[in-house]
Amino acid sequence: MESRILKPALGLYVALFVLFLYGPFVVLTIISFQQGPEGGPQFPIIEWSTYWYRHIFGLTPPSRIAPLPFGEALLRSMALALMTMVVSTVLGVMSAQAFRRKFKGSSFVFYLIVLGMMVPGVLTGLGTSLLANNVIGIERHWYTTAFATHVAYTFPFAFLVMLAILNRFDSSVEEAAWSLGVDPWTTFRKVTFPLIFPGVLSAMLFAFTLSLDEFPRTLFASGRDQTLPLAIYGTFSVEIHPNIFAFGVLTTLFSFALLSVYGILMAMSVRRAKKMAMQEDIV
Amino acid sequence: MDKSVFRLDGVTKRYGDLVALDNASLEAGENEYISFLGPSGSGKTTLLRVIAGFEPPEAGRVFFNGRDITNVPAHERGIGFVFQNFALFPHLTVIQNVGFGLTHGKSGLSAAEVEKRSLEMIELVGLSGMEGRGVDQISGGQRQRVALARTLTMNPKLVLLDEPLGALDANLRSRMRTELRAIRERLGVTFVHVTGSENEALAMGDRVVVLDRGKIIQIGTPGEIYDTPASPDVAHFLNRFNLFDGTLAGGRFNAVFGSVAVPHAVRAGKDVYAVRYDRMRALAPTADPQGPAIKARFIASEYLGSSMMNFFEAEDGHVIELEHHLSLGTPQSFEARQEYLLTWNPEQAIVFGREAAR
Repeated sequence: MESRILKPALGLYVALFVLFLYGPFVVLTIISFQQGPEGGPQFPIIEWSTYWYRHIFGLTPPSRIAPLPFGEALLRSMALALMTMVVSTVLGVMSAQAFRRKFKGSSFVFYLIVLGMMVPGVLTGLGTSLLANNVIGIERHWYTTAFATHVAYTFPFAFLVMLAILNRFDSSVEEAAWSLGVDPWTTFRKVTFPLIFPGVLSAMLFAFTLSLDEFPRTLFASGRDQTLPLAIYGTFSVEIHPNIFAFGVLTTLFSFALLSVYGILMAMSVRRAKKMAMQEDIV
Repeated sequence: MDKSVFRLDGVTKRYGDLVALDNASLEAGENEYISFLGPSGSGKTTLLRVIAGFEPPEAGRVFFNGRDITNVPAHERGIGFVFQNFALFPHLTVIQNVGFGLTHGKSGLSAAEVEKRSLEMIELVGLSGMEGRGVDQISGGQRQRVALARTLTMNPKLVLLDEPLGALDANLRSRMRTELRAIRERLGVTFVHVTGSENEALAMGDRVVVLDRGKIIQIGTPGEIYDTPASPDVAHFLNRFNLFDGTLAGGRFNAVFGSVAVPHAVRAGKDVYAVRYDRMRALAPTADPQGPAIKARFIASEYLGSSMMNFFEAEDGHVIELEHHLSLGTPQSFEARQEYLLTWNPEQAIVFGREAAR
């Protein structure tokens, strides 16, 4: 009785939600196929074309519209996201590993780490820039000051993911390895790490995506070389052409590709996790 | 005992306020099978984990092969450990599990030698043909044997078993018991086996160590433990005795069954009168018991294959058990809710008391 009303209502709600979620992307995609170079970022579509995609890669004859200055910014952002991903994940795994045993002041340290994702980004960015300029007296760069803020921001996410994973980890397999004469470091590499790998993967994904489109911290801390989000923002303040939408579509496709890789790796390790679960079941 | 393999010297371990181990001392010889028996929370698993090096003791020393290993990390002790949940490496195959210690430890063996030794061990535990299987593709009993093989490939002098048979069904359990004993005779390893089952402890151990609340309360052969439990607590864990509270005074024990002369008693912290289940007899209520007796109503009986357990309820609500071995003839039949007179030969009772001589 209840479900006859509730179910369709909830279904409609979800449909609206999905529409809202992907609506902007659909509009963006449609406009990116606008005719160029005269067509602007508005409806109706004058004529369907791939002009703006070719424009991004410099394959169109020169026109009054300058190509997007994104090439270097994109590389910078990628490099920064990769660096952040590696450092945050390593730190996240190590600190979560430390939290498996209660130590003095552990809850204080816990909040200290988690604070990194709580403090407003603008403040962190501003603070870092002031610290670098006025206190330490070093230049700001995307790979120094901005990198530090990115790690401070993404590390708590990686930490929390790993904490959840290690919380459910049965340490008797590690003890078993020790009792076979295998030292703790080898045990970590050969037993612990393969088993927590799904979590590591999630932590990496978090750190990478959060860093890739990080804005407020980078704005103040990155110095003169811009990262991609800053560069995109910069073009908005001048003039908007459909090439920026074409670019948006390409980056979204890149994100999907990344997610697919994550999905495949995850499915592979989930199969392994299932084996583990089955082993625990019989106890 | 031929030669001491390991020795515990006043080992104490606390978890916060809880004393898990209280001044435990013990010595085990080469090629010995020792069972730790105790209820859950008695500290038997903690004791095993201290020997293995997974938990540091607060006080006391652990010696192994004549060396003080109290501060030696687990992976340098050379003591095998078989876990209750087997703790196999779920991402590895059977042969990779068995060869794990040789491959990643300090054996220095080549891959080919590791494979050869692993295959030999797999054959020893009867798992040939399963080498390439994942550990999720084999049964519980087979996993247990992988866990054992994995430990035995390292040639340890001492293997600790933490309720390894608990996860198996009754059939497999008795088969594994036999196999464990056979393997031990072949390899000459000292086994320390933790169990909550008195049957298992009595059946498998050369010696049984009874633990209660972190204290070792008796060490002896299964026969000694069974025939002369050192305290009322031991008698209680063995689950083979009817225990009566009362008072021992002037060579007589006074309890619900009246006053009985006690030829000799065992010194203990409290006065308890113990009669083995199979030493009790039931008579008609009007019969002359010619000895101590207690009135009780018959509740139910339980057929155990080789014997029959009969349950009676005394007037004070105390349940008294009476075991009849079927090899001694057809059991008496009792009528429900009927009153009977339960009696025994006082010579065969075990009496504990504060005023006992010993």
